[in-house]
Amino acid sequence: MYDLIGVLLLNGLAWGLIIALIALGLSIIFGLLDFINIAHGDLFMIGAVLAWTTVDVTGNFWIAFVLVPLIGFAAGCLIERGVMRPVENSPALSIVASFGLSLILQEGVRATFGTTPKRLMDPLGVTVELFGFQYEAYRLLAALIAALAIAGFFLFLRRTKLGTWMRAVRQDREMAIAMGVPADRIFMFTFGIGAAMAMLGGVVAAPITSVEFRLGLDVLPLCFIAVIIGGLGNLPGTAAAAVLLAVMEGLVSAFAEPTTARIVSLVVMSVVLLVRPNGLFAPARR
Amino acid sequence: MTGGSFSSTRWAVGGLLGLFAAVIGYGVWLEDFQRSFLAEILVWGVFALSVSLVFGVGGMLSFAQALYFGAGCWGYNVAVFAYGLSGWAPVVAGVGAALAFAIPTGFIATRVRQHHTLIVTIILSVLVSTILASGHWRWIAGPYVTRSLPEAPTLPLGALTIDYADEMSAFLATATLVLGACLLAMLLIRSPFGLALKAVRENETKAAMLGYDVRLLRWLMFVAAAGFAGFAGVLYLMLSRYSNLEFFDWTYSGRAVVMAALGGLGTLIGPFVGTAVYLTAAEHLSRYYEHFMILVGILLLVLVRFMPDGLWGGAIRILSIRFSR
Repeated sequence: MYDLIGVLLLNGLAWGLIIALIALGLSIIFGLLDFINIAHGDLFMIGAVLAWTTVDVTGNFWIAFVLVPLIGFAAGCLIERGVMRPVENSPALSIVASFGLSLILQEGVRATFGTTPKRLMDPLGVTVELFGFQYEAYRLLAALIAALAIAGFFLFLRRTKLGTWMRAVRQDREMAIAMGVPADRIFMFTFGIGAAMAMLGGVVAAPITSVEFRLGLDVLPLCFIAVIIGGLGNLPGTAAAAVLLAVMEGLVSAFAEPTTARIVSLVVMSVVLLVRPNGLFAPARR
Repeated sequence: MTGGSFSSTRWAVGGLLGLFAAVIGYGVWLEDFQRSFLAEILVWGVFALSVSLVFGVGGMLSFAQALYFGAGCWGYNVAVFAYGLSGWAPVVAGVGAALAFAIPTGFIATRVRQHHTLIVTIILSVLVSTILASGHWRWIAGPYVTRSLPEAPTLPLGALTIDYADEMSAFLATATLVLGACLLAMLLIRSPFGLALKAVRENETKAAMLGYDVRLLRWLMFVAAAGFAGFAGVLYLMLSRYSNLEFFDWTYSGRAVVMAALGGLGTLIGPFVGTAVYLTAAEHLSRYYEHFMILVGILLLVLVRFMPDGLWGGAIRILSIRFSR
């Protein structure tokens, strides 16, 4: 029994880190542009689809780790410039626009990639003996990559000029502009980074899930839960909440079906919201 | 939105009645299958109207409307199958179920800040769909969510009985009920309650200073809009005699948001215009191009860019500029 719990905890940890990566992308876009990107889950899905395509075309999975985030960054910049910039000032319109974007992405993948879920081969093809189980080594690697990406993201925010500018615009847009920060370009850049993180999450997750056009619909609510429990706009809180929730789901699923585990985490979220509307880790006032 | 004498209630009610007379006349003139398509447009229009109310009038980004649409179907089915009721009772039960469900869920959704409302409503939808699909709590939901009515419903009206088995009576009954819903919505928008909400939407802090209980107003509007969504569910069930688990899915709410936004959020007629455009386009485009949803997505992007208040809202704006000269 304890062996099984150990494995499920590890699975939860790997998923939690991937969700954290995606949710952080969602959260920085929200923090800066003040709107919730409903198409964010679909960007994750595109990342997984592109990973599958990379393997299909080149036969090499690892290329996707370099290629897909770059495509994601470029796509994110284009989306911010072309789609979001004109409606930036109206939350209602930007929601509608991102919903339109989500329709285009999903239906576009359905038209080109097809409706049947596809599976990627385990790219490492190595199993390790853990808790008496043959555990896919790739899952450990996935957790590691996601953790490294998250760490890299925080380092980028703290240690680079661009990261500092991003934090500055987030904190006080007018003041940042007055100090000479090119806010327009920072917006575009942030959206690009957010999209790249979602797509990188898609690449990391592609071998441990089935790739299909509806993939984003399952992941988006998880990211929302992480973002809300962590406190909207609170980046470390979001990451912590994602890992905590996924591990909790893994733990509950040792004793009950996966759907029950999902229900438990959703109920926990509702309770957290009732008790602390601004999230677990947020100060009482934003 | 409209200026001068056009905004007076008498004009608005008259315009609405005239519009409906035209729609009913058009429907009577149509072929049978086209008439039932028109009835369907009206029903989904009420669903889109509930989005217009909660989104456009209430200023809350709710993606939970499908929950209340589904709850309406569920309430109707419970009244029919569990209690053997017929006539108006299941209609009341359906709307009642939606309202009853909206009271607690709306409380959670409206006590958080605006952006949270969107997230919370999506998560609530996912929670309910997951529970319903998982087979837990089957004693509540099980036999009543995915269900077909065995026979066409009837509605007693004084000495008359409206039989939904007849295509024409079904259309006329649906159109009349939808008109009733529109009049009620108009009353709601123009009542002191609706005006207070407008104040909240335009300047929340100021409204709160003036002594309005912002949270309570939002909650009430959320519940009222849910009632409209539930009513749409009931109308749909009576018309198609079919309800499904997927009605609870948040992407269904998304579809309603699309239809309302196409026509114009916050307007009364806009959602119906948007629904008509959406469903007609879907009907025709899907014959030529399987993936017409891509085109719908592109249309949305173009619309928010160039006609942010929707087709109807934009038309009204252009007309009112013309007439006020």
